[in-house]
Amino acid sequence: MGRMIGLRLIDAIPTILLVLTLVFVALRILPGDPAQVALGDMATPAQLELFREQMGLNLPLWQQYFIFLWDMLTLNLGRSLVSNVPVASIIAANLPYTIELTLVATGMGVIIGVPLGVLAATNRNKLPDSGVRVFSLIGYAIPDFYLGALMLIVFSLNLGWFPINGGGTDFLSRLHHVFLPALTLAMVKSAFLGRLTRTSLLEVLGKDYVRTARAKGARENRVIYRHGLRNALLPVTTGLGLSLLATLSGSVAIELVFNRPGLGETLIGAIAERDYPVIQAGAVIFAFFVVFINLLIDIAYIAIDPRIRVQS
Amino acid sequence: MALTRRRFLTNTTAAGVATFATLQFGAPGAYAQTEEGTISIALAARAPSGINPQQSGLTGGDNWAIYQVFNGLVQSRPGTFAVTPDDFQPALAESWDVSEDARTWTYHLRQGVQFHHGYGEMTSRDVMFTYGRQIDPDVISAGKVLFNNIESIDAPDDYTFVVTLVRPDPLFNASTAVTLAASILSQDAFEEKGEDFNFDPVGTGPYFVESTDESSILLTAFPDYWDEPAATEHVRVSFIADTTARTLAFASGQVDMIEGVRQPGWIPTMRQRDPDTIFDATAPGSFNTLHLNLEYEPLDDIRVRKAFRYAIDSAQIASAFGELSTPMVGIIAPQFAGSVTREELPEELQYEYSPEKAMELLAEAGYPDGITIPAYTSQREDYSTIMLIIQEQLRASNINLDLDIIDHATMHAENNLAKNSVALNSSSFPPVPTLPFLQRLAAPADAKPDGSGQGNYSHYGVAIPGIDDLLDQAQDEPDFDKRIEVIEEIERKVLEDLPLLGIITLSYVIARNPRIDLGFDVESGYAYWPLNQARIVS
Repeated sequence: MGRMIGLRLIDAIPTILLVLTLVFVALRILPGDPAQVALGDMATPAQLELFREQMGLNLPLWQQYFIFLWDMLTLNLGRSLVSNVPVASIIAANLPYTIELTLVATGMGVIIGVPLGVLAATNRNKLPDSGVRVFSLIGYAIPDFYLGALMLIVFSLNLGWFPINGGGTDFLSRLHHVFLPALTLAMVKSAFLGRLTRTSLLEVLGKDYVRTARAKGARENRVIYRHGLRNALLPVTTGLGLSLLATLSGSVAIELVFNRPGLGETLIGAIAERDYPVIQAGAVIFAFFVVFINLLIDIAYIAIDPRIRVQS
Repeated sequence: MALTRRRFLTNTTAAGVATFATLQFGAPGAYAQTEEGTISIALAARAPSGINPQQSGLTGGDNWAIYQVFNGLVQSRPGTFAVTPDDFQPALAESWDVSEDARTWTYHLRQGVQFHHGYGEMTSRDVMFTYGRQIDPDVISAGKVLFNNIESIDAPDDYTFVVTLVRPDPLFNASTAVTLAASILSQDAFEEKGEDFNFDPVGTGPYFVESTDESSILLTAFPDYWDEPAATEHVRVSFIADTTARTLAFASGQVDMIEGVRQPGWIPTMRQRDPDTIFDATAPGSFNTLHLNLEYEPLDDIRVRKAFRYAIDSAQIASAFGELSTPMVGIIAPQFAGSVTREELPEELQYEYSPEKAMELLAEAGYPDGITIPAYTSQREDYSTIMLIIQEQLRASNINLDLDIIDHATMHAENNLAKNSVALNSSSFPPVPTLPFLQRLAAPADAKPDGSGQGNYSHYGVAIPGIDDLLDQAQDEPDFDKRIEVIEEIERKVLEDLPLLGIITLSYVIARNPRIDLGFDVESGYAYWPLNQARIVS
């Protein structure tokens, strides 16, 4: 297991290096002068030049690139070009909100989506199946930012059940604040997971060993949950991993709609302000999460399917 | 230890709960909530960039907090712009004298003014430190350009501060002393705190900074304030960038005031929801002007530029924004000294809206079938709205503006590389009539393809003779009234050459819950105002 994790981490190095390079190049191609954005359109040419010099923005690109790589390697994220605040503290203040949103949304997605998938599969072509299909279609079709705005208007503004914006302070307040944005993301996620669970479970329920279990007189619940669902979980796990990544990127729009602090919201602002250090650090962290979640999926495979464990 | 399914599920669940719990207690931060004895205002910005008036990259939200925490040497009457030299009121300076040549300004400082957090009395040493940083070329600071005219500063004693200017300036209080960038810092606090001063500032204002987090700044009334203590104990300045989230926060009563949206229809929609909502708008707000690139064919032809002027109906654009906007005639906003009115102009410079005249001029210039001109503008709501209306108006005169709408920072970058043919610009200027011309039409500000220039996207004074001599004359004139006469001459010259068209002014607007009484009416001024007289009335 340890060896497998080690190998996967080594595999991740070129991925992260590629992401770092792409982010660096993309930022430098993007029009927009960070010095001009930071100092405003009334800045004198001398001030702009001084700013570029102090921030290392007038060094040759290859030199900037290697300084950037070295800084990332030594975890020196630098300071924001706009606020001069250490990027590490900006990330530390915002990242927990994004992780919190992603985890809660994923949890809600699983809690809603998997039972719906089971319900649809066990009632194939009946009313519950059609109901789940309609729910999935709606879930797929509505953009999450639009759904979020609708939820805000209905549940926060009109009913007053949830706060309009923010991230909350203590444990309960944080849960209260995260519920609606997480539910928004979970709607899309549960539509996806519900369809996936249904398809996968239907396939498994048609297998010989399920027929054998039924022939032996096993109770239907046992057949479905013990023999069927467990074996249907492998593709669902893959889907869950992919959906977790989608939630992470989807959180950007949701953080904006609900005005939650978070990495996505920070990144959007940093891109508008051409705040290179913040964008670079944010992108690297997102890349790290992709690698980390993929690793988790691999580990989950091994836990769920003993055949993979034997092969590895 | 072998990994089993049961153990995996148990461990991951435990890890998930532990992570969530850690995040709950590990992350700092508090979002704006309705709090007892607190006035809350939400501004259209992502997060605080700093509460240091000299920090670069400050947003409008930061400015609101800074204005409550710091004072300048002089101030204008709350809710107004000081337009003439007599309009200024004492602040940290009790009085001031100006020499006859308007080059030497002597400020007599108020005695006994205390800095927050026990940093002692404000003296000329702090004023020297503040202005000294702004005139030091090796220090990067906000608003430095406003201090360019200072030749030297001096402090003959603890309560006297003397500024000597390179050129006379009868409006030095307006161009420099009253600006946020000239807010007086505590030298001791600045030197002691270093980088931390940015979020833990020390000023002399009616409020001090109680706490900051990633999305708001909490201010508390300063009991030793030199003037009347603040009427309300706390002010929370929150940052909500998204328009919908900000509007909903206001509609739900979570915040008392929000920065409005400068888009047609926003105020009527808000009024429909709650007719009692109060809208405080500054006039003039931003100057929205249209640069015509004199180096771009066919805009190098005065007949084509005149066709543009006749084809654009500024009054119609202004009416689209309702009470937030006024049409501009020249380059100076109609509310400021130096502006010209249509009635006082000769007929040929009045440019009454006339698509027919525009088409005649185009035909005369050799374009009887009209012209197509590529241009781009920002996706920011005010820019895109104005430019889309202009595009439609021009179409009626056979001028096809092939318009791209692009990211805001990209637009500025491309404009600075002198790439745009028709560039809309939105800038807020203090009531210093030389400033818009110096920034937008003077030859030294010419935008250059290598990006080393500034905001003269028309290339006026370079492509054709401009107004530089007149600007020099205005800047050398110590008498305010005579200076204004030269400015009016410049306005007329610009209207003759049409390198830059005045389109509309667009007010900065704050929606206010009627439970908050500001203590004064907002008429004009910068995009922030004092909250020390504001109280919760119901």
